[in-house]
Amino acid sequence: METSALKRLQVQRFKPEENPEIHYLNSERGLWSWLSTVDHKRIGLMYLASIAIFFFIGGVLALVLRTELLSPAQSFLDADVYNQVFTLHGAIMIFFFLVPSVPAALGNFILPIQLGAKDVAFPRLNLASFYIYTIGTVFTLVAIITGAVDTGWTFYTPYSTETGTNVLLMTLGIFILGFSSILTGVNFIVTIHKMRAPGMTWSKLPLNVWSLYATSIIQVLATPVLAITLLLLVMERALGIGIFDPALGGDPVLFQHFFWFYSHPAVYIMIVPGFGVISEVISTFSRKHIFGYWAIALSSLAIAFIGFLVWGHHMFTAGQSSLASMVFSFLTFLVGIPTGIKIFNWLATMYKGSIDLKAPMLYAMVFLFLFTIGGFTGIMLGALSVDIHLHDTYFVVAHFHYVMMGGMVMALLAGLHYWWPKMFGKMYSEVYARISCALIFIGFNLAFLPQFVMGAQGMPRRYFNYIDQFQPFHQLSTMGAYIMGVGFVIMFFYLLHSLVRGEKAASNPWGSRALEWQTTSPAAPHNFEHTPVVIHGPYDYHKPMSEFQLGIAHGHHGESHQPETLETVAETGTRP
Amino acid sequence: MAHSTASSSAPAHLQHHFVDSDQQFESSKMGMWIFLVTEILFFGGLFAAYIVYRAWYPDLYVQASTQLDTFWGAVNTAVLIGSSLTVAMAIRSAQLNQIKGLIINLYITIGLAFTFMVIKYFEYVHKFEKGIFPGQYYTYEGIAHEKANIFFSIYYMMTGLHGLHVIIGIGLMIWLLVKAKKGAFSAEYYTPVEITGLYWHLVDVIWIFLFPLLYLID
Amino acid sequence: MSGHHISSAKFLWGIGFALFVLTFITVAVTWMHIPAPWNVVVAIGLAAIKATIVAAFFMNLYWDSKYNLMLLVMSFVFFFLMIGITLLDTLFRNDPVPAF
Repeated sequence: METSALKRLQVQRFKPEENPEIHYLNSERGLWSWLSTVDHKRIGLMYLASIAIFFFIGGVLALVLRTELLSPAQSFLDADVYNQVFTLHGAIMIFFFLVPSVPAALGNFILPIQLGAKDVAFPRLNLASFYIYTIGTVFTLVAIITGAVDTGWTFYTPYSTETGTNVLLMTLGIFILGFSSILTGVNFIVTIHKMRAPGMTWSKLPLNVWSLYATSIIQVLATPVLAITLLLLVMERALGIGIFDPALGGDPVLFQHFFWFYSHPAVYIMIVPGFGVISEVISTFSRKHIFGYWAIALSSLAIAFIGFLVWGHHMFTAGQSSLASMVFSFLTFLVGIPTGIKIFNWLATMYKGSIDLKAPMLYAMVFLFLFTIGGFTGIMLGALSVDIHLHDTYFVVAHFHYVMMGGMVMALLAGLHYWWPKMFGKMYSEVYARISCALIFIGFNLAFLPQFVMGAQGMPRRYFNYIDQFQPFHQLSTMGAYIMGVGFVIMFFYLLHSLVRGEKAASNPWGSRALEWQTTSPAAPHNFEHTPVVIHGPYDYHKPMSEFQLGIAHGHHGESHQPETLETVAETGTRP
Repeated sequence: MAHSTASSSAPAHLQHHFVDSDQQFESSKMGMWIFLVTEILFFGGLFAAYIVYRAWYPDLYVQASTQLDTFWGAVNTAVLIGSSLTVAMAIRSAQLNQIKGLIINLYITIGLAFTFMVIKYFEYVHKFEKGIFPGQYYTYEGIAHEKANIFFSIYYMMTGLHGLHVIIGIGLMIWLLVKAKKGAFSAEYYTPVEITGLYWHLVDVIWIFLFPLLYLID
Repeated sequence: MSGHHISSAKFLWGIGFALFVLTFITVAVTWMHIPAPWNVVVAIGLAAIKATIVAAFFMNLYWDSKYNLMLLVMSFVFFFLMIGITLLDTLFRNDPVPAF
């Protein structure tokens, strides 16, 4: 390996070809070429299809719940079925949709392209983690069909060890999913360390890569604790080991410690990658260098770290010691600092930028609005005394929907619309995209703002019945849910339309300077036809586009190409 | 460097998306290290349970560990350390292109790993005969502590999970052996030997902690 | 290359021997009946020394890239965070209000 950091490279300009004949979607054909692919882009798309299916199932379940809640007392679900439906809604949305959404679907697709690599470090492992994910989902679906689970997605003991439902299969399924998450994390960390293109130094990494890096660290450090927790729960049910069972001398609060040691960092697995997407989108559509590059990059790592210190705020009323509660409450406030840093940096990026309100940017703005509300209410819930009042009410439900749906789902939609041309080489209808974004924004607020109010008034979460006083709020909420549903249906159809007869997309429809836009749309089978060489950061909008399209011609092993025309000779760092 | 290796012909083991063998080797090794991090935290959950209960019931641990045989625990520690040594020797052999030495060392390692599991098996059977089962099936009356079942739940979980890792390790060693006999490894390419070795050493390290924590409480 | 360190056979045997000796010491100190809590400290201390030796010389961390060393250290840091903060709860369950 080279010891000198600087080396003279001869590069030439590679302008991306428009409407390439051969790209990753058609370079191989047939179902088998998809199922056995090791191409990170195709694996990303397979994840995208899977999470879309699970988002649909989870969304339908949510509508079922909201319909039942339209009126007090029982309308068409009895209490047990209601419990099973909200458990499924939670477990599907979290483990099958949110956790793999941006990292596994968008991340798989875009991360190697953003690094200028041909693929992730371990392509076969990547495919394996997709199949592990599939096996995990099969387990869970079998668990649903053969008798649902009614514990909530948290599987708290001792109820989860006693209930007659299919906890065993469900937790095994999620245990398997954990492996998929871990392997993706391992793959991404190594890819970011070892697979960067020449000149792609740490200070030129796109912010999306930084946040995927932070996410992967959380996945690697937290998921094994979930695995051991679920394994202990499985053993508890199968062999009665009793570590969490008070009847056998165990301690149920210990289960909550273990569970939240994973699951609190896991909510950062579900939001930090969204931060990365938002950073990319806001810089691109403001035509401006990102404000506070290092502040945004390092605050992702800071959130990842602090996220490990705050899990006990889920247990303020669970009987943990008051000393622990006070420490956790204090530490929880600390998360607000790096998150605030990000929000202010995004606003500062937009300040005096040439803002172009295309669909991805609209979603990014919706994200800023909703996520800020979600974040602030999180601080309120982190305050020990306030939480005693608000714990397990609809206030909590509204809070985490503002963060998860208003945050992560909006970021996912921003990213999906942003990278859609790169994925499929087609444009979607901007008009319908805006209509659907507006419907989702209105529907979302209508659904969840009333829940803050009724939560503060004392409506407990997870109840299928309520007193008449709460009916107007529940009705508003249900209406909002349906409006959101209409928004998603419209999105489904215009995206489908785009796939079938959408306009062909240019290689760089947004005029971005980032590396992923300097290849063809859809991307080439190995991402780039050349080895890209990076001399500017991805947000340097003050530099001419030609300086972002540099590279070295390469063949596959053994052939050597001599560049025909040398346009630029750049001084650049080599692979570290 | 991208363009310097492009002109020389690539070795057969080099996957297309890597620039050169060093990048591939370093990537695999880093990947294994990150995986070992997850293993440490995986066992970390059990160690945490162990510590929490030990802080609550120190007497329980003193009494219950008398049921574990220090002698066989120490023998097993020595067996695992010996197997770590042979794995290190196997890697050395591969690095020096001594494929015969590699195969012999792998055989010894597998033998030692089996020895460990056999001793573990007899320890388990001995306890089952006394009625020392985990959790609710615990029936032994020799320990005057109401939470004795909890200690043995933790004991069985920790040693059982460790044993599972030993068995996985044996599988990996056999796989290496088959590949080594086919001549897949050389001084140029021995990545699987190296990273399986890392895994095996970690299994050893975990046992190094389990031994005093479970057997040597007095 | 940091990743291709080759140890001599003599060196590896020396490390193995040192580990055997340390294992014997681990067992031998229990015959001395050191009073609690120092018996735990000594037992864990010896285990930590053995683990460090394995990591440094069998797993070649001593010659390896610093990032891999950092990974190992970080995994222990996060383990200590997990157990440390959990103990803040389990050790103080009985105090209705902390004593400060």
